[in-house]
Amino acid sequence: MAQALEVKQMSTEPSKNLVTIKGTKDGLTVLLDDQCSFDELIKELKEKMKKDKQVFGNGPEVEVKVDAGYRYLRSHQKEQIINLLEEAEPILVGEFHSKVITREQAEREKEEGGLTSVAKIVRSGQVLRIQGDVLLLGDVNPGGIIEATGNVYILGTLKGTARAGIEGSKNAVVCASVMAPHQISISDAIFYAPDRYEKKDRKPLFEEPVYAYIANEDVEISFEKARLLGQFLKKTAAQKENSLNT
Amino acid sequence: MGEAIVITSGKGGVGKTTTSANIGTALALQEKKVCLVDTDIGLRNLDVVMGLDNRIIYDLVDAAEGRCRVQQALIRDKRFDCLHLLPAAQTSDKSAVNAEQMKQIISELKPDYDYVIIDCPAGIEQGYKNAVSGADQAIVVTTPDIAAVRDADRIVGLLEQEDMSPPRLVVNRVRRTQEEDLLDVDDVVATLAIDLLGIIVDDEEVLKASHKGEPIVMNPNSQASLGYRNIARRILGESVPLMAIDQKKSLFAKVKSMLGLKV
Repeated sequence: MAQALEVKQMSTEPSKNLVTIKGTKDGLTVLLDDQCSFDELIKELKEKMKKDKQVFGNGPEVEVKVDAGYRYLRSHQKEQIINLLEEAEPILVGEFHSKVITREQAEREKEEGGLTSVAKIVRSGQVLRIQGDVLLLGDVNPGGIIEATGNVYILGTLKGTARAGIEGSKNAVVCASVMAPHQISISDAIFYAPDRYEKKDRKPLFEEPVYAYIANEDVEISFEKARLLGQFLKKTAAQKENSLNT
Repeated sequence: MGEAIVITSGKGGVGKTTTSANIGTALALQEKKVCLVDTDIGLRNLDVVMGLDNRIIYDLVDAAEGRCRVQQALIRDKRFDCLHLLPAAQTSDKSAVNAEQMKQIISELKPDYDYVIIDCPAGIEQGYKNAVSGADQAIVVTTPDIAAVRDADRIVGLLEQEDMSPPRLVVNRVRRTQEEDLLDVDDVVATLAIDLLGIIVDDEEVLKASHKGEPIVMNPNSQASLGYRNIARRILGESVPLMAIDQKKSLFAKVKSMLGLKV
């Protein structure tokens, strides 16, 4: 009974305000109610846009932010909302914000952001592929491949192939206690080991732990002592922040 | 109930068959009941190395397909009553047998013997899968050269996925003199990171013995023979120190080392 009453009240309530347009100092934000049904939301959005079309008129282009709160929107639903908003000529949807993500996405992000540690020997013919950073406790033997979307850290000897930033991250590094690789690649830059006849004594490339990275604006892979890795990571983190802010 | 040990290497020509024949014979010398199984269908050699190639009537494929009983296909060794050989077929190829049939044959053999030694073909295809399917343990044979070690590493990786105890290593054809540019036993062990079961020095006598159809282990004066005998004793659980490789020193160097001078 109470429910029915509520429904009646809701349907008769004229100013339900499922869609709120708020002006902040960063620009306009469209707040979408996250409790009503999607159809209701769309209906109200349509009405609002019809009314506000005149308000916006042919004014200068405005970028608006959309905030869907705790509503999960499928990609076609998102598109529908963006299309509705952009019907008003000057409006351009910049950011689409939602407080919820799917379980799959959350798991993926967790993997990508995290460090996976693996204790084994990556032998000839084996491929160890990790989302995010990887810490290998063991060796990578000649013919074995270790690859990660993030950084590769090896607490052991790298004698095979290591690929860091395989999805394009140029800031990724390959760090190994003993660096005697066949090949290293970071993003699309590749380092080939010196040919075997050049290093007859079969010693590693460096006397101490090093990391491989792409030096500034360079497509070539360079090496630096592992103790300076902290500085490098700080620097790249700062760069990332800057690029986000601008 | 015996144990089935597969002898494998990945690469061809490193001495799997020689190692199988000699480990088998060395275990027989210790009065163990041993059955050698050649799984290299189409390219059988174990019977030749053992000098039993003239006695084959039925083979592994006949046994697998039920044309004979497993016992009928076995050949008794001419030297030891406790050593038998199950030869591979020469007329078919690796696909003539599948892993299930192989498992069945090995499990039929195991109750009658202390050790079933399975000689694996080169490669990592069907023949390898068959040979490994019935085994409880594995011995990886390699020579100290870069290609053989690379393949052995691949095999160790594959064996680690099998339900068996970690494989053990035999380094075959170790040179007496160590050259700077070549791999030594320590390099091989460092790369593969598995237990070293033994080393066999490079010895021409091994080849000559194969020609005679008599495993080198029968000749007590050869260093290679001693290596195989030591491996057999280690398989039986004895703790035998790794033998020092005779460096074939010059007389002058020998005298010097006798006097305690640095060579």
